[in-house]
Amino acid sequence: MKKFFKSLLAKYILIILTALFIIQIGFFVPAFLFIFTSNQEETERQAASIEEQWHNEASDIERMTKGTILDHFKQWKQQYPQSSMFWVDNHGNLSAQLDVTAELPDEWTPAFTAQFIKERYDEDPFTVIAFAGNNQNHGFIVFELPRSALSQDTNQFSQLGGRTFSIIALTIILFFIMISLLFFRGIRKRLVALQEAMEIRDTDRLPVSIDVKKNDEIGQLESTFNQMVSELRESKQREQEEEQLRRELIANLSHDLRTPLTKMRAHLYSISKETLSANGVQAVQVMEEAMEKLDRLIENLMSYTLLTARKMNYKPESIDIIRHLRTSMASWYSIFEKEGFEIDVELKPFNETEWNVDPLWLDRIIDNLLQNVLRHAKSGKFLSVRTEAGKDYEAIIIADQGNGMSVHSNGKGAGIGLTIVDLMVRKMDLEWEVESGHRGTVIKIKRPKKLS
Amino acid sequence: MIHILYIEDEVEIGRWVTRNLMEKGYEVKWLKSGEEIDFYMINADLVILDVMLPGLDGFSIGKRIKNTSRDLPVLMLSARTAIEDKVEGLSFADDYITKPFHPDELAARIKVLLRRFNKSDEHIHLHHLTIHTKDLQIINRDSDEEILLTGKQYQLFQYFLRHLNQILTKEQLYEAVWGEEFLEGDKTLMVHIRYLREKLEKDPAKPQIIETIRGIGYRVKQ
Repeated sequence: MKKFFKSLLAKYILIILTALFIIQIGFFVPAFLFIFTSNQEETERQAASIEEQWHNEASDIERMTKGTILDHFKQWKQQYPQSSMFWVDNHGNLSAQLDVTAELPDEWTPAFTAQFIKERYDEDPFTVIAFAGNNQNHGFIVFELPRSALSQDTNQFSQLGGRTFSIIALTIILFFIMISLLFFRGIRKRLVALQEAMEIRDTDRLPVSIDVKKNDEIGQLESTFNQMVSELRESKQREQEEEQLRRELIANLSHDLRTPLTKMRAHLYSISKETLSANGVQAVQVMEEAMEKLDRLIENLMSYTLLTARKMNYKPESIDIIRHLRTSMASWYSIFEKEGFEIDVELKPFNETEWNVDPLWLDRIIDNLLQNVLRHAKSGKFLSVRTEAGKDYEAIIIADQGNGMSVHSNGKGAGIGLTIVDLMVRKMDLEWEVESGHRGTVIKIKRPKKLS
Repeated sequence: MIHILYIEDEVEIGRWVTRNLMEKGYEVKWLKSGEEIDFYMINADLVILDVMLPGLDGFSIGKRIKNTSRDLPVLMLSARTAIEDKVEGLSFADDYITKPFHPDELAARIKVLLRRFNKSDEHIHLHHLTIHTKDLQIINRDSDEEILLTGKQYQLFQYFLRHLNQILTKEQLYEAVWGEEFLEGDKTLMVHIRYLREKLEKDPAKPQIIETIRGIGYRVKQ
């Protein structure tokens, strides 16, 4: 229940209920005030006051002539422009009248008088009948006023009240709209802030936890998001640990395989120092070659396992490709030179020499390709490493003049080496193509130019 | 006499390497773990370290050595061939050789390291020149005269000698000698190489001592 009161739903219901309540009050209170209370009572109060004043003033008239009576009437006419008045003297004659519109007889019989009184009692026009003078010998004077005129003042007041009422009602509605807007703007603001916070990434490229301020629905969403982030982080950590374990395992395995290989080589070296027959020397040489091949195979197999399981560390960075290639060639040059190769290195700077690649991977690609040249294209005695800038690409070209890849070479087994090259090239968003014939092999590692 | 400190837990390999290095004229102290290293380190000119060792591993020992004596060359000799291991090793060590290795390669790398760290007192013969590495005295054997170099020429030639037989790129040379980043098209290095050749070569137009390796850089080859 406590949770409910903290929720947005509760707040929303509260706003709606408050609005309904205010609207109700806004409608009914003015209605009561203006329609029932003020209007009716005011009319009656005014009528009573007119009646009393008419009676009083009638009794105060001293000389009962037509002139004085008419003067009296005119005075009243000023105050009540819509009124009409007449005088019936003690003989029943209609002696004076002012603005009377109704058909009145010139002589008033007692019967007509009685009927007139009966007709006018509590009817429209509002009628006051008073004896003229301070005794009853001068007949009576009658004051008529349409009831609409009587309530004119209060009507004016009522109209004014109506306007006030409209303004109040409008204000209340505007107030309600404002409150609703503020409420939704608050929600929207928090949702946008949440979305922005969700897009922020930490150094490990995972989202950052959000500071939970309120315990409502959005607050709960934030908590759930935080929980998700922490689960994601845990899972990533687990994954990293597994990766570490696997790498450790492969490293250990590689170590365990190489240790006996090293021992074999040690003993072979010792044998080679002995005096051997020609056959013996040849056997030692073959064994050495086989051992080197085994060493390379272990290395490639380990890399391949890591690569295909996507567990090989990949850290791309922006490097000067020409400089990197030159350094790489500096270490390979002597090896090819020793084998009697003609080496042609021509590295011209590209327009954009910075490539975003993992330098270790790039070294590995170059090593694998050059090793292949060394092993399979020895017959050509030629190696060319150069750069080429095409219309929509920049490329590193490694070419030899060996027998080509299709021709079976003595040291076959390059398959895994080239597979590693292929995996690495593609992972680094580069392309590569191989042209191979009996006159040699040309390998292009291309970087497509970005469209500007 | 050059003292080599060698740490290897594998008995067969350890015995073989020790014997080989001793045959090449080095004095070798072989330890099976890194426990007593602090004692033997004082006399050593070079340390060869295996990675997988009982107790402290080779990486930790290597880092400790480099922390106390930066001038002692450390060579890692390991069966761990993963790129990550090499990268970690080379973050402090001066060279990293993977097993199985050829004893001649090991000997060559030791030589390079000793030269780089100025530990060897050699007389290098380069064509008509004899160079005493300790004080970099260059003698022209034809005329029996000493060749004197200026500051930058001296630094440049010394860098070549420390990396004897290695091809050095323009960037490498410039950055090692001038200590600034090499900018493509800068002629400073070329000019200094020309001066150096004028002093060292018999025929500077056909240099024999400082070779130009087209497209890559330069090399001083013994």
